[in-house]
Amino acid sequence: MPSTRGARATRIGVFVCHCGKNIAATVDVERATEALTAQDGVVYGTHHEYLCSDPGQEILKRAIRDHHLTGVVVAACSPSMHEVTFRRAAAAADLNPYLLEIANIREQASWVHRGPGTTDKAIRIGRTMIEKVKGNHPLEALEVSHSSRCLVIGGGIAGIQAALDVADAGFEVLLVEKQPSIAGHMAQLSETFPTLDCSQCILTPKMVEVAHHPRIRLLAYSELESVSGYIGNYRVRIRRKPTYVDPDKCNLCGDCVQACPVRVPSEFELGLAERAAIYIPFPQAVPSSYTLDEASCLGLNPLRCDKCSRVCEVNAIDYDMREEILEEEVGAIVVATGFDLYPKEAMAEYGRGTIPDVIDGFEFERLLSASGPTRGEVRRPSDGRVPREIVFIQCSGSRDPELHLPHCSKICCMYTAKHALLYRHAVHDGTAYVFYIDVRAGGKDYEEFVNRAMEDERILYLRGKVAKVFQQGDKVMVWGVDTLTGRRVEVAADLVVLAQAMVPSDGTADAARALRLACSSEGFLKEAHPKLRPLEALTGGVFLAGAAQGPKDIPEAVAQASGAAVKAVGILAAPMLTHSPEVAEVDEALCSGCAICVPQCPYGAITPGTTARVNELLCESCGTCVAACPSGAMTLRNMSGTQVLSMIRSALAEIPQTVEA
Amino acid sequence: MVKLAVYWTGACGGCDVSFLELGPALLDVLAKVEVVFWPALVDAKVEDLEALPRNGIDLTLVNGTVRTEHNVEMVRTLRDRSRLLVSFGACAHMGGVPGLANLISREALLAEVYGAGFRPRPPAGGAPEDAPTALLPAAVPLSAVVAVDYTVPGCPPPPALIGDLFDAALSGDLPPRGHVFAHEKALCEECPRTREERVISRFVRPHEVLPDPERCLLDQGIVCVGPVTRGGCEAACPRAGMPCTGCLGPTPNAGDPGLAMLSALASLVRTGEEGEAAFATEDELLDALADPLGTLYRYSLPAYWPGAAVGRPGAPPRRDGSQP
Amino acid sequence: MDEPGPSDPRIVAFLCRWCAGSGADLAGTSRMQYPPNAIPIRVNCSGRVEPEWVVEALKAGADGVFIGGCHPGDCHYVSGNYKARRRIHLLRRVLAELGIEPQRVALEWVSATEAARFTRLMTDFVAQVRALGPGPYARPPAGAEPELATAGPSATATATASSGAARPAERAAERAADRRAPW
Repeated sequence: MPSTRGARATRIGVFVCHCGKNIAATVDVERATEALTAQDGVVYGTHHEYLCSDPGQEILKRAIRDHHLTGVVVAACSPSMHEVTFRRAAAAADLNPYLLEIANIREQASWVHRGPGTTDKAIRIGRTMIEKVKGNHPLEALEVSHSSRCLVIGGGIAGIQAALDVADAGFEVLLVEKQPSIAGHMAQLSETFPTLDCSQCILTPKMVEVAHHPRIRLLAYSELESVSGYIGNYRVRIRRKPTYVDPDKCNLCGDCVQACPVRVPSEFELGLAERAAIYIPFPQAVPSSYTLDEASCLGLNPLRCDKCSRVCEVNAIDYDMREEILEEEVGAIVVATGFDLYPKEAMAEYGRGTIPDVIDGFEFERLLSASGPTRGEVRRPSDGRVPREIVFIQCSGSRDPELHLPHCSKICCMYTAKHALLYRHAVHDGTAYVFYIDVRAGGKDYEEFVNRAMEDERILYLRGKVAKVFQQGDKVMVWGVDTLTGRRVEVAADLVVLAQAMVPSDGTADAARALRLACSSEGFLKEAHPKLRPLEALTGGVFLAGAAQGPKDIPEAVAQASGAAVKAVGILAAPMLTHSPEVAEVDEALCSGCAICVPQCPYGAITPGTTARVNELLCESCGTCVAACPSGAMTLRNMSGTQVLSMIRSALAEIPQTVEA
Repeated sequence: MVKLAVYWTGACGGCDVSFLELGPALLDVLAKVEVVFWPALVDAKVEDLEALPRNGIDLTLVNGTVRTEHNVEMVRTLRDRSRLLVSFGACAHMGGVPGLANLISREALLAEVYGAGFRPRPPAGGAPEDAPTALLPAAVPLSAVVAVDYTVPGCPPPPALIGDLFDAALSGDLPPRGHVFAHEKALCEECPRTREERVISRFVRPHEVLPDPERCLLDQGIVCVGPVTRGGCEAACPRAGMPCTGCLGPTPNAGDPGLAMLSALASLVRTGEEGEAAFATEDELLDALADPLGTLYRYSLPAYWPGAAVGRPGAPPRRDGSQP
Repeated sequence: MDEPGPSDPRIVAFLCRWCAGSGADLAGTSRMQYPPNAIPIRVNCSGRVEPEWVVEALKAGADGVFIGGCHPGDCHYVSGNYKARRRIHLLRRVLAELGIEPQRVALEWVSATEAARFTRLMTDFVAQVRALGPGPYARPPAGAEPELATAGPSATATATASSGAARPAERAAERAADRRAPW
């Protein structure tokens, strides 16, 4: 790449567009054309009614050829409208597209001003772009080949959906999940709203599809170590933790569990049940195999204990398994690392997690679940009694900027209604109290679903917050308020279920760090634009799916996952990726290696050294490093400091007055 | 023999002394030159200078800032009589430290030193031409008055660069006109200090700390303007534990060195995670930078702010209407 | 709407293309009206704006400089606007010490949807700069023009090109025909 310092002799053509009346009504296009054509370096100038039209484009192309133009300024609408159009026309006329610039004299002049001052301003704007073009260099878009594999981080419902969609589109997927099984939180649910489908029944077919898909390589019990590279060419390091069980041999007989002397709280059952050191999180786990948890095992050593391997008839257990580090190349990454619930321990007013019969939504799901620790009978953790009076507290930790989290967790109103209905179904003579602030039921059939709960005569919806929850004897006292009657409410509950706020999972924080992804102040992954680019991270080639990006329900997570998959496929399917060439560039003859530029770059595109080095494919052309460089060694191609100083002077120079139109 | 003249205008004398730093090499130089005019060294008079023909001097080195009308007359005469004229030292190059006087008006300066209403006048009973020379309204660099062929920058110029000039001038193998005898790259290239994460989390003045001898001074909060300053001095000051103050002038593409360094400093300032929550502490830190003008423009104020410094004619009056 | 005569403030506006520039475009699409005193220069990011550009604009005769970037937290390039903010803060200190009103330099956050805000900011800034009077280089200095108060040492330092960078004396001659109304 040639150094971009200094201006060069040019033959510039200026084309002023009337844009019908949009420009011509307030800008004297003839005077503007005359003034701009008189500018140093301009050899040709004309104006036209609609330059973006076919005839207009033809005029442009013919002029480039006939007058041997080396640069073009089109004074017209905003470059966001037609820069691509006009640059394509220039290329068709064999003029390097980067030697064509748009002077925005419509949105920034003709539409916002009236009077002769408008023409004056249009001329000045045109002049600045003439000066810019004088300093532009012909550039070629950077082309880069890329991997056509996709990495999906997180094997919950969003990760599963994204992996299936990318694989079905014909591309290989690496699905990395840190638990021994994919499925995520959805497997812990009993039924899903509003259909009350059995959660595992609708989930497991997708899990099985993942297991058997020829293009999905499932890396369970694995974590992302590090990521380097850039869009299309990511190099990822994945740590596969040893399960000590060969999944191809394990036949799920379960004899190992009977033999194992260790019992620890089950993560899947949220501590409501126990598991052995060797375990399967739930029967439908994928991969379909047991896992030996090194942390709770007595020693992984026959001298300490080898009871499980001795009873294993198929010799699936291997204490000598080692951790493996995989280095893989992928072209696109989907982050679907999911959420967790805000811990009960943070709720000082609700017992700090010390009251056994104050539980959160997932724990209640396990109690409701037919395959759960109580076989689907709703029994309270402390003494196993069936609760007759149950209190549901919505917005626990959510919508509370002073003490907890400011955001709304979106799904709690719905699942609380679900919980209340399922409770009533299970305990016919039970009474449920739901303390709410609002009821948010915006999805399809959601309002109708909530109304079912509200209309149940033994489900009482009380609008008010709960101030305090505490143990009294074998009851849990709930002090709340009913703002619609203005009365304080006290319930002596058998069981209290807190709808804890949704927060991003720990895995989300890890992925964000590894990928240098921006997060909101609460840690949800930040999308490139909340309205128009909700699935893309700011880092090129990284896409977001599921609750890691923000609280959402299952249909939204699935939809987002499919969308992210398409975005990923857009990269994987492209024959070559192109990247703008208008990037930062170091003049090695001037760079002293001071490295002041290095921390300016949000993309980590600059490496320090004897002279700084810019990775052109990571550079997004913001120019922050250029402005920071004290010695003037760093420049931005086609937007150098010299060009801008020229533009400034031309914007302020006097315009020779001609006859007013 | 190369006919040599050395002159000083608003100078401290350091540039003249600096020739001695050439060491024994000075003898080689002296053997090849004939000193025709050098007030610090020989007793030639102005009349001798004026009697010389045009281009009668092969090489003239002028050091010092141009501050008085007499300075202007002298350098114009020297320019006329010299084949090559060199800005020698930071004062001639950019105005130098005396250039900081431009921060107050000439009238205020004279009033401060000599009392209100002071006007230069001849001694009692003396002729009008015996009056002291008038000050220019502002100090200016040499190139503002006469065409300059080369520059040897520095305060004073380091001996290596003086040597480079004499090598070129005495051998006749001269670089293109306008050349500055110093490196094109900034000082950081020759500085032995290590740079790690470039972050400024505090500003301290050199006398306030004992700096770590290995680490970059800027990273330690001591404002070193090395990154914007030409090398060629072997980073003498940072090697000695003091920050570079910019005496060799800016690198060729830096533009205004004060503004370039300002941008770098502001870019590096960090008080934790960037974000709205950090604005107040960042501003506090930025405001803690002591003497920004003296730090950023120590030698170069006249070169980059010739007409807008406080108190100069044309500068807008202060809000209360006063001129400082 | 006032016609800008020679006496009306001249402003250079650096607008980032993702936020402020798009907000300005939206003001255009919405046909909002504001004074034409500011000439826009589009940059990718407010973090590209060099303090030297601001000063060069003033030295070339501008009475004010406007910089428009994304709101904190929304920078398309993550953190460019944070650097811009710190640089302008320090620049304002230096300008103030040199006797140039720091209010001549505005740094504002405008999102791509804030057309009305952009319009209001433009209108207000033009009024603010008008109230401050001509910029430091906007007209020849009152009283004797020091013939030596020009130029810099090295030609490459600030490459003075063509129009607009003329010395005050030349600019005065250029404007001889302009009868400038006193402020």
